[in-house]
Amino acid sequence: MLFRVIDKNEIEALVRGFATSYEVVGPVKRGESYVFDEIGCDPSRLCVDYTTTLLPPKKYLLPPREVLFKFSTAQNSVQDFEQEIVPRVLFGLHACDINAINRLDKVYIDDEYDDPYYHKIRENTLIVGISCMPSEHCFCNVWGTDEVTQGYDLFLHDIGDRYLVSILSVRAAEVLTISTSAREASVQDSVDFQTRNAKFRSAFPSANNISELPMLMDAFYNDALWEELGERCLSCAACSVVCPTCHCFNIKDILSPNGEEGTRVRVWDSCCSPDFAAVAHGHNFRATAASRVRNRFYHKFLGYPSKHGDVLCTGCGRCEVACKATINPRVVIDGLQQDAIAQRNSAIDKGVARG
Amino acid sequence: MDKIIGANETEQIRRNYETLSGTELMKRNLYRPWPARITSITELTATEKLFELRLIDPEVREAFTHTAGQFVELSIFGVGEAPISISSAPSKQGFIELCVRSAGSVTGVLHDKQCGDIVGLRGPFGRGFPFEEMKGHDILLVAGGLGIAPLKSLINHIHDERHAFGNVTILYGSKNPSEVMFRSQFEMWQHRKDFNLILTVDNTEDQPWDGEVGVVTKLFNRIDIDPNNTYAAIVGPPVMYKFVIAEMRKKGLHFDRIYVSFERAMKCGIGKCGHCMVGHQYVCVDGPVFNYWEAANIQGAM
Repeated sequence: MLFRVIDKNEIEALVRGFATSYEVVGPVKRGESYVFDEIGCDPSRLCVDYTTTLLPPKKYLLPPREVLFKFSTAQNSVQDFEQEIVPRVLFGLHACDINAINRLDKVYIDDEYDDPYYHKIRENTLIVGISCMPSEHCFCNVWGTDEVTQGYDLFLHDIGDRYLVSILSVRAAEVLTISTSAREASVQDSVDFQTRNAKFRSAFPSANNISELPMLMDAFYNDALWEELGERCLSCAACSVVCPTCHCFNIKDILSPNGEEGTRVRVWDSCCSPDFAAVAHGHNFRATAASRVRNRFYHKFLGYPSKHGDVLCTGCGRCEVACKATINPRVVIDGLQQDAIAQRNSAIDKGVARG
Repeated sequence: MDKIIGANETEQIRRNYETLSGTELMKRNLYRPWPARITSITELTATEKLFELRLIDPEVREAFTHTAGQFVELSIFGVGEAPISISSAPSKQGFIELCVRSAGSVTGVLHDKQCGDIVGLRGPFGRGFPFEEMKGHDILLVAGGLGIAPLKSLINHIHDERHAFGNVTILYGSKNPSEVMFRSQFEMWQHRKDFNLILTVDNTEDQPWDGEVGVVTKLFNRIDIDPNNTYAAIVGPPVMYKFVIAEMRKKGLHFDRIYVSFERAMKCGIGKCGHCMVGHQYVCVDGPVFNYWEAANIQGAM
């Protein structure tokens, strides 16, 4: 891996360097919160020390509403849809959000079942990461997604008055070289990087041991916890909207007013929506909120990992803030682990298990 | 007039990508439906019709090959899409048969279509029955209600390569005689020596009927099965699986030689949209056909 060092005040030059050939999107302040937004050629809008944005950067790769193609109902024909691709830099993403994009890539970029829309946008998107410090809602350390080693083009590690820049792509290396006076890392830079990492790691509370989580998801599939969470769930789908890894969608036809033509679009959907698993003749395979909440976490902790290896959660904590019913990964993990301990203690008391 | 223009538009798209083969054209964008003309409509029951379709683009038509048990996404432009299992055998080339119940908005509109009308098709999707693996063995097929639609593809394919199989037993249960599909064909087959076909209805409802009466599981005491040399497949309403599998297990059939097919809300068909998720699997790409061992290991499937 290639490293270079730039001074912190060179970040504006770097942004301007990208802005000559890319749309630059980064974290900006909106009210009391942060959002990812286009910053134009104005690097001063960029808030590099932001905590977490309201919505994750997935909105740029998987737009909330995306046209798949146009059709004519009069002629029963399909017109191939040409995507308008904006070459874009997602500037200032935290490790969790880059890890989330890596997980989306595994679903949407595929030899056998490729998604041409996502693929095209992703190919034309550069990612510049930036180091962070955890907020009270961050639990990326539980999954190991507090670090990222692939999927970005540049990653800026804060080392005091400089950034140690990890470089993974030629395209970004060229912009870095042209727009800044990037230099070789010194021993001092390396030492400061290690000191900074130690400080970052110690800022997290201790992480639950999650090695048994896949087993717990199966063993406690019928646990009372799911009923309890189901009773609380409002089925509002806010969790899926703010989740950087949730990627379910629905496909709909939108007709023009005269009914002669239309567009087929895909729109964000959530497995927590009541009719998500309903089939045409009316049967709903997940009619209860409990079954939907369980399905969502089952997929994140066991379904997706069984296919792609990683857990489909990066510990960004957005759902902890968004969910009005306090249903989130940490509540589920704690709940299952407590129920497992209670079950074991109860078995010991009854003499059916040894302590 | 409209239909001719539809065909021309397809031609235009072909010209834009004339260096691509039919397979490449389809794979370029798996969300894109291809216009197909309805070439025949057969009324099967009051609610089910058999549609025969022909893809208009000749290269796409030639590249479209499927295995029994796979499905397509059928488009009615302006209404939407519905996943429909293919009823015709892979050996029937150039035409695709879909047995469709009028159940939702898309299938409702399809039922109002006439021969010559154009709809959209994309696919085929999913994993079908292991036809090659089943060769050389006895076959036991059990259908309930509309479950005969996906199974019909397998039945037709076995029929076309009948010499490659041992004994073939088909049990088909319906609610009442008026809901029996492909009735005339099956009634002829009852006299064939190379198929042991038994039809049953839950209730005759005072309609003429010379088949069996009672649920399909009651037929198991009438059939003779070599458990070490038999592949079985079941397609029907979810409630049926448990009871039929119990009968098959009593006969000694192997876990991994009993095949089932699941119906779920497959919207994208390519493992992206999440609607057909069951347990840790996507029915659209991992299924819809699973063997019983796989199905039993999917949480919430059986």
